[in-house]
Amino acid sequence: MATDSSLNTELTPERPGPQPAEASVVDASLRTALVALTGSALVWLLVASVLAIIASWKLHTPAFMDACEYVTYGRIQPAQTNAFIFGWGFNAAFAVALWLMARLSRGSLPGSGVLLIGVIFWNAGVTLGIGGILLGFSTSLEGLELPGFATPILLVAYALIAAWSLVVFRSGRSREIYASQWYVFAALFWFPWLYAVAQVMLVFSPVRGTVQSVVHAWFTTNLFLLWFGSIALAAIYYFLPKLLLKPVSNYYLSSLGFWWLAIFGSWAGIARLIGGPVPAWVQTVGAAASFMLLVPLVIFGLNFFGTFSGRWSVLKESLTLRFVAFGVVALMFVLLGWVLNALHGVAAITQFTYVTAAETQLGLYGFFSMVVFGALYYIVPRVLNTAWASAPLAGVHFAASAAGVVLLVGSLLIGGVNQGLALADAGVPFAEVTKATQPYLFSASVALVILAIGQLAFALNFFWTLGRASADCVRSAKTLLSTQPEAAR
Amino acid sequence: MNRAPILFLGVFFALAFSFVGLVLTNQLTYGSFSTHVDEDEGKAFPQALPGLAAQGKLVYQDLGCVTCHTQQVRREGFGSDIGEGSRGWGERQSVARDYLREERVLLGSQRIGPDLRNLAARKNAAGVEITADWLYGYLFDPKLVSVDSNMPRYAFLFKTQKIVGEPSAKALKLPAPYAPAAGHEIVPTARGEALVAYLLSLKDTYAYPETKNVYTPPAPKESAVEEKKEGAK
Repeated sequence: MATDSSLNTELTPERPGPQPAEASVVDASLRTALVALTGSALVWLLVASVLAIIASWKLHTPAFMDACEYVTYGRIQPAQTNAFIFGWGFNAAFAVALWLMARLSRGSLPGSGVLLIGVIFWNAGVTLGIGGILLGFSTSLEGLELPGFATPILLVAYALIAAWSLVVFRSGRSREIYASQWYVFAALFWFPWLYAVAQVMLVFSPVRGTVQSVVHAWFTTNLFLLWFGSIALAAIYYFLPKLLLKPVSNYYLSSLGFWWLAIFGSWAGIARLIGGPVPAWVQTVGAAASFMLLVPLVIFGLNFFGTFSGRWSVLKESLTLRFVAFGVVALMFVLLGWVLNALHGVAAITQFTYVTAAETQLGLYGFFSMVVFGALYYIVPRVLNTAWASAPLAGVHFAASAAGVVLLVGSLLIGGVNQGLALADAGVPFAEVTKATQPYLFSASVALVILAIGQLAFALNFFWTLGRASADCVRSAKTLLSTQPEAAR
Repeated sequence: MNRAPILFLGVFFALAFSFVGLVLTNQLTYGSFSTHVDEDEGKAFPQALPGLAAQGKLVYQDLGCVTCHTQQVRREGFGSDIGEGSRGWGERQSVARDYLREERVLLGSQRIGPDLRNLAARKNAAGVEITADWLYGYLFDPKLVSVDSNMPRYAFLFKTQKIVGEPSAKALKLPAPYAPAAGHEIVPTARGEALVAYLLSLKDTYAYPETKNVYTPPAPKESAVEEKKEGAK
């Protein structure tokens, strides 16, 4: 992106920035790793997009491709979710986390060999898992459908990738620890804990009865809040002050927001079991913890909108900032949605409807993915040391993503509320309920097509830029590998 | 100043708090919950699934039925699952003990289709008891049974075969446009049979002591015997 290429110096608020030369050494050391991570993330994003359109089409046209067992809705929908989460989401999160950590700690990556092996194993594991789901090996646990033969590979690959973020963190020269680093550091530590517990207690050695449901809800919601949420928040805390050229306002509150989210937020997800066959205290605690999310909601609002205030005009110049701003607004709605859905009266209507799907999409797409798109628009040209190949394609990506998310979440939300109200009225036959949601599901499919257009523009732009830089990239990667001890010092 | 160790400890204890509070506490308090032995009936409830139904549960999992169907009946007054003027998806709300013998608990999170927890104890939209034949027809093509159904066909759980000797007792009785060629019949595959056996095993009709303690406003039911009588009406 040409518009903010002048901002190649680090201007985080807490300390004087390093020399530009140092930042470029850090960026160069990350080149191979980030190209591999971003490239695979984008391939998965497109795969997930195709699967999403097929799955969504089946919802309003059930006869679509229904003769084939491998693409029946019950398989293609989980395959889509997992391709999006573990294919796109994790690869992209690794890329952003690694870059943020290296930049903020001012540490270079000492060689990318092991990391690349990790990336290959990760993607092999995800491919194996998605194939497994389509062939009928799904665990049928939402968000954890990847079969048991694929997940240990993921955990090993995770260790090989995540370790390097900690290496750059510890080897870096910066003594201060900035908000973005807390989030990245914590997320890297939390994910394997969540995932290992979920795998052991649900798949390999299942606990009894609905204790499973508690563990499951604890895992899925924390996967969003503590992993995807943390990585995106780290990016927001980094890019807002940097691109707006001013410190994060009310920065002193950010540590309270972090600890509050970690300590109480991790209890909140259990509220989705309201009304379910689990102990009543679990549901009550979940609802209380969800209400406590109002505190980080206010803190993030003060931090982010406070930083934006008076500088809204920069949005016009910076594409990264537009994506991040969209993500910040989505975050506010996501947290508000969690609070509202913990209310008994609301949950009785919205539970088990498309409202939950709208919430997931808003969180994973409107918040996490939008922020990460923005971050990648900033990171990629610096790491490849070249400008984006096409500004119009980037513009198409933003416009399509913003419009697509609004249409998708809006359709699912309104359709879901109608569905919930109709379901609550036993006088409406079930088939009528399904019929009433059809127009909304159709517009959700249209939204997914719009999103796919944006993603295609992004992927084209990335691989085009990569192609242009590749001659340089290959050369400098070779030089880098042969001279890496100097570069690392 | 190097605060990384403090950060690490904080991050550790933050998640440890909810891990101990939610995961471990629940595992310790009701993770070893036991079956309810009914001395009158001489059985322990919930009962294990019969073999074919247990296989059918695996088919249910591999086809991802849980993506659209929940298996939990919410209490009276919360949604319209049960009680007066409700959808009548069960005789009582689901309780933790119902799921005790399930290696994989499939509560589900979407009701794109109706709840299935108590499917076999209910009546279909036309008010008829749910039978294997009805389920076979529904899986083969939902539109045969319910024109507005949004469920995809599961025709791949059936096969067309040549009639050798006597026609199979399980053969689907299909109207003209669906009927197979003369001398042929459409029968469920082994997976189809297992799935239907599982679906027919889905009924939580036994009243545990704890199901009587929950808030159920009018018409308290005394025992499973009475409920059975009602089911037979």
